[in-house]
Amino acid sequence: MLKVDGIDVHYGVIPAVRELSLSVDKGQVATLVGANGAGKTTTLKAIMGTLPAKRGTIRYKGEEITGVPADRRVGMGIALVPEGRQIFSRLTVGENLALGAYHRKDKEAIKKDREWIYTLFPVLRERINQLAGTLSGGEQQMLALGRGLMSHPELLMLDEPSLGLAPIVVVDIYEVIKEINRSGITVLLVEQNINMAMKISSYAYIMETGKIRTEGAPNEVMKRENIMKAYLGE
Amino acid sequence: MFDIRATFSKVDRRLMAVILIAVLFLCLWVASTAFSKYIVFIITLIGVYIVASASLNLTNGYTGLFSLGHAGFMAVGAYTSALLTFPVKGREIFVIPKLPMFLGGPEAAWPFLPALVMGGVFAAILAAVVGLPVLRLRGHYLSVASLGLMVLVTALAMNLRNLTRGSIGINSIPTYTNIWWAYGCAVVTVYVVWRVVNSSFGRAMKAIREDEIAARVQGINPLKYKLLAFTIGAFFAGIAGGLYAHISGAIRPYAFSFNLTFQIVIMVVLGGQGTISGPIVGTVLVTVLRYVLKPLEEALGVYGLVELIYALLLIITMLRKPEGIMGRKSGGPRGGRWVGSLGGKKS
Amino acid sequence: MIVLTPEYIIQQIFNGIVFGAMYALLALGMTVIYGILRLIHFAHGALITVGSFCFYLLFMVLGLPFPAAIVLVIGLGALMGLILDMVAYKKAVGGPEVSMLITSLGFYIFIENLMKLIVSPQPYAFQSPPFLDTIYSMPVLTFRTIDIFIIATSIAIMVFFTLFVKKTKMGVAMRATSESGEAARMVGINIGRVISISFIIASAIAAITGFMWGAKYGQIAYNMGFMAGVKAFVAIVIGGVGSIPGAMLGGFILGILETFSVAFLPPGYAAYRDGIVFFILILILIVKPSGILGQREVE
Repeated sequence: MLKVDGIDVHYGVIPAVRELSLSVDKGQVATLVGANGAGKTTTLKAIMGTLPAKRGTIRYKGEEITGVPADRRVGMGIALVPEGRQIFSRLTVGENLALGAYHRKDKEAIKKDREWIYTLFPVLRERINQLAGTLSGGEQQMLALGRGLMSHPELLMLDEPSLGLAPIVVVDIYEVIKEINRSGITVLLVEQNINMAMKISSYAYIMETGKIRTEGAPNEVMKRENIMKAYLGE
Repeated sequence: MFDIRATFSKVDRRLMAVILIAVLFLCLWVASTAFSKYIVFIITLIGVYIVASASLNLTNGYTGLFSLGHAGFMAVGAYTSALLTFPVKGREIFVIPKLPMFLGGPEAAWPFLPALVMGGVFAAILAAVVGLPVLRLRGHYLSVASLGLMVLVTALAMNLRNLTRGSIGINSIPTYTNIWWAYGCAVVTVYVVWRVVNSSFGRAMKAIREDEIAARVQGINPLKYKLLAFTIGAFFAGIAGGLYAHISGAIRPYAFSFNLTFQIVIMVVLGGQGTISGPIVGTVLVTVLRYVLKPLEEALGVYGLVELIYALLLIITMLRKPEGIMGRKSGGPRGGRWVGSLGGKKS
Repeated sequence: MIVLTPEYIIQQIFNGIVFGAMYALLALGMTVIYGILRLIHFAHGALITVGSFCFYLLFMVLGLPFPAAIVLVIGLGALMGLILDMVAYKKAVGGPEVSMLITSLGFYIFIENLMKLIVSPQPYAFQSPPFLDTIYSMPVLTFRTIDIFIIATSIAIMVFFTLFVKKTKMGVAMRATSESGEAARMVGINIGRVISISFIIASAIAAITGFMWGAKYGQIAYNMGFMAGVKAFVAIVIGGVGSIPGAMLGGFILGILETFSVAFLPPGYAAYRDGIVFFILILILIVKPSGILGQREVE
């Protein structure tokens, strides 16, 4: 579904990602974990297209999209739920959701997706006319997810969906992520909350200072990591 | 930890600077004897403008602020110096108020240098008073507020008739400014800017320009540095204004309008903001261009031609080579952040 | 000495509202552009100069019917906006914010001096169409039809614009973009298009404001746009940067304040008109930089 091959991405003048390759299969939940500043967010932004890849290629559904602008990638079925949620706080919940479907013209299908999102997050329906900035942290995360889903994505990227949320809310959010995946949407997850992420994913990448350090099935990766930790005292 | 090479290069640099200045003054001496009065006047004017552009560069080039009020500070300096130095005999005839007691009394007229410095001090005080509240805000506010300050200063110069003689302006100002005064001040200004930029102060300013939040984290107080840069810039603008008053011999409020600010802005931008040599190169180019084009403009009767060409130069510079003639290309984080969050708000 | 009768005060408030309506229209366009690009669009003022002279040419020189002239002026404004966007800002976006500011300044000076070359430095007498020149004298108020035209047209434009921004997809996208450009791109908004459309709308509004300006003052000149543009930004600051209703409110407040400063201060102070506006600006920046309706925006 997604194949990233040897990309370099700069964040300003700082090279944040170097020669990074990864691939995500259809229907999978893949996870990208790593310490703060490892380049996870930068990687997602490069896949989304809001940061340009200086080198390498990004292919999506067999098509090269390296030079395609972000707003057109949304139309191709890629969506990113950004770190810190980045909902439009001065817009209403309804307007935020509507913007998720900005590129779409299929009114009926949009309505259907909206209803589905309301069943996933009933609270959004109640708050439809409220300014997004007045929502609680958990509700904002739900709105960000909902906004991402409104674009009817085939590949949904989630950047630290558990950040700053109460543990109980995190559990809820992860239940929904599983549900989203079951509906056929491929998920690429970025997390610092390794345990949570590993539980739901079928493949994992560990990032370190702009590179993939290790990859594989989650339990394999975890085992290797634990050995590394024991040896290196990291 | 004695680094011979560093010491040598430091001495070399200093020696180079001294030689350069000596050569400059030699050239000026040759020029002042060889060329016509008109050419010498233009060369002198370039020196005056270098004081103005180098000082504007301190604010606009090194701190990432964009002041549009330089002409206002120049007006303050010009009027201050003109009023202080005006000969006692002429004051009655030209309806210039006599000096109050605390400035020397009715029978006094100041010598040039202290009057010049006083003009700079007044401009600096004004900058500090306005800068303190405005510099707390986003950089853009300074552009409009400093522009407003300039309009206010011109309005005062127009209307405080007892002091400034209103729109008629002040004539017969003693023409003290010669080529030596102009370039003496220019060298001092450039030296001060250079010293400021290459001090811990200057590094802090650059840090603020590149990334204010990161600078804050390192314990740099942006307000303090911005205010100092703005104030020092205004001081030298005042000096430039004083020099200008004493070279042209006449000042009117209209002379310190937006056109003057714009002219100095383009000197800095064209030459290269945030470089030492940029404003100097820009000043020479812009001034020469003006005096080459002026006769053409008058002959053809197409008024506005010079400004039109200035504006074109400015636009082309910004679109093609925003770092200016002397600037080096840098894809600083400032630009980078913009790519990342196009149109996004800085928090 | 001015006699402060209630009639005089009402008359001055009315005048202030007329001027304020024009500031509000300019501020509206500028605040949208500022919101999206963080750019003080100095060249915005130039568009009222172009608009007024264009109307002068079409209506007074070529003798086109009034509605046709107005439509053409609006069209020309829109076109200018598109050109400005394509030539100037498409390239400058992505650079430091201050580069755009300088570019905009350059464009203002360019347009102003081009106008100076074309129309000469002399001001022109601007005659409103006769049907807008009728004077009505009421017991408390004297006004011309043009005053009503300005107030009614401005309010109509403001209402339409507010509806546009609230209800249409593009309007919502504009608000979203001005809150966060990056997030807007992530949801699939073509930011380049949002910017272009903002420039087109803002410039069209500025061009028709140019007609109003000329008709109200009775005189147009190549440099009329500078102070108008900068004062519109002052109006934005008064109302609160980032707020569209704030910009409109700020425009009216500025119009009234400016009229009052001329009407109620002793005659000698009328010359300080522009100075007073900026004095107000600096005062607001000191006391309440977020303006009346704006969010706080520091650094």
